[in-house]
Amino acid sequence: MQPILSIQGVSKNYGSIQALNSVSFEVPQGCVFGILGPNGSGKTTLLSIILDILQARSGTYSWFGKPGSADTRKLIGSLLETPNFYHYLSAVDNLNITHAISGRGDAADIDRVLEIVKLSARKKSKFKTYSLGMKQRLAIAAALLGNPDVLVFDEPTNGLDPVGIAEIRELIKQLARDGKTIIMASHLLDEVEKVCTHVAILKKGNLLTAGPVDEVLANEDIVEVSAQDTVKLKQVLASIPGHTHLKEEGKAIQLFFPIGTANMEDINRYCFNQGITLNQLLLKKKSLETKFFELTND
Amino acid sequence: MLSLIKIEWLKIKKYPAFWWMLVIVALTYPSINLMFLNVYEEISKGKEMGAIAKMLLGNPYAFPETWHSVAFFSSFFIVLPAILVIMLITNEYNYKTHRQNIIDGWSRENFITSKLCDVLIISTIITIVYAIVAAGYGFYTDSKTFYRWAEQLEYIPLFYLQTFAQLTLAFLLGYLIKKAFIALGIYFFQYLIIENIGVSWFKYKVGNDLGRFFPFEISDRIVPPPAFIGNFGKDAKAGYEKAVAAVPEHVIMTIILTAAIWFICYRVHKKRDL
Repeated sequence: MQPILSIQGVSKNYGSIQALNSVSFEVPQGCVFGILGPNGSGKTTLLSIILDILQARSGTYSWFGKPGSADTRKLIGSLLETPNFYHYLSAVDNLNITHAISGRGDAADIDRVLEIVKLSARKKSKFKTYSLGMKQRLAIAAALLGNPDVLVFDEPTNGLDPVGIAEIRELIKQLARDGKTIIMASHLLDEVEKVCTHVAILKKGNLLTAGPVDEVLANEDIVEVSAQDTVKLKQVLASIPGHTHLKEEGKAIQLFFPIGTANMEDINRYCFNQGITLNQLLLKKKSLETKFFELTND
Repeated sequence: MLSLIKIEWLKIKKYPAFWWMLVIVALTYPSINLMFLNVYEEISKGKEMGAIAKMLLGNPYAFPETWHSVAFFSSFFIVLPAILVIMLITNEYNYKTHRQNIIDGWSRENFITSKLCDVLIISTIITIVYAIVAAGYGFYTDSKTFYRWAEQLEYIPLFYLQTFAQLTLAFLLGYLIKKAFIALGIYFFQYLIIENIGVSWFKYKVGNDLGRFFPFEISDRIVPPPAFIGNFGKDAKAGYEKAVAAVPEHVIMTIILTAAIWFICYRVHKKRDL
């Protein structure tokens, strides 16, 4: 299947600072693609390039198999960095401009998206009277206008309160269930882990890894075990064949195996035969946070 | 083009500064000309002096001279729509909507074209106000010259070109500087101080007319001072005739400069990071 977005060798400099260094990856159709990275890693720069706000020094990108253009951008609902609206206009007037430029949605759809983001009651208020969270909601409403198949969100939960964050997270999951392709930049790892199917991790403009979340996270098997006698358990586990290393994690011990080689039954049997009865045996996935720090720490 | 104008209208129609500008222009243009008309009526009132004044001045507000006089005096107030033009472009930077418009599906060319439409529309409105004021004074001041209303109508397109050219300079400053107050400051400083001093300096100190190549002066000379100015002595007559003779040359220079500015804006916007 043709990818929704294909990025090939995109580089960008700000003077002597290399913001992006030959970044390449593809975004498959129907996925929720998280772009992760610490502050200043190049996430917003990358999104700005694929939305034609910034010019790449080199490299190319294509949307829907075609070079990026005004016509391809009309098919994409985007929220880049901050909510950008005319301060003296109301929510409805601002969305009318979004509609007029993009061709997405109509008057009824404007009401629909304002309802989704819970701004219907303030739809005639001027943008300048909105709180930060309301401005962010309006930006999400603008992105949703016309129900586009592809959405680009840069830090979509910026400025929202905890309830708002949960609502937007649920909205993103719902959009994903509806088959939308969502490209989302964030430095909130928890947020990305909860909603993304694919991930790309950037650091100082370099792409460290990209792919399905399971593949990116699972480069080793982690088995967490515990027993009454932790000291003896540790001695027994140290002699289990095939593991690379082990680590104490509170009252439990984590055993690390090369990916796909951990056999839970064998571990259980081995411990039992050595006189240890396990009260916990769990194959764990590495958290995105762990992986992120592994990759981005110098 | 029409869709761009419609979108710009969505942005402008609820922008309070636009309506304020319109109201102020609608008040200022008749007022400044009323002031000069009162001066004329005052000095042409007495029997003897009035006859001399009428001979020297003609009636600058009767047809057809009204087209010329009102264009000249109204053009002093180009700063009013210039403020609006600068605000319209710097607002886009301030609100970052110059980026959002592109994200939503405009090309970079569309954006500059939309701003070109703004300047064209504002120039049209200003010219309509000027034409109404000029015609109004023409009908009001002297009923014997009504039949000459169609003479000197060329001042309408000349006023339009002058307005468009000077608003284009305002746009350029707003576009490049991005900050409203700095752009307005430079606009006023250039228009009111630098060029006035510069033109006089070239004329009286250096002894040439190179001052006519200042950016605003190029289009300022499209509408020379009214004809009665030429009746105050031999030098004035020669000066007036020279100014009138130079109009075609300044029209060409204005068109070239204005076209070059828009060309540069298109080129810069195509390449630069937003």
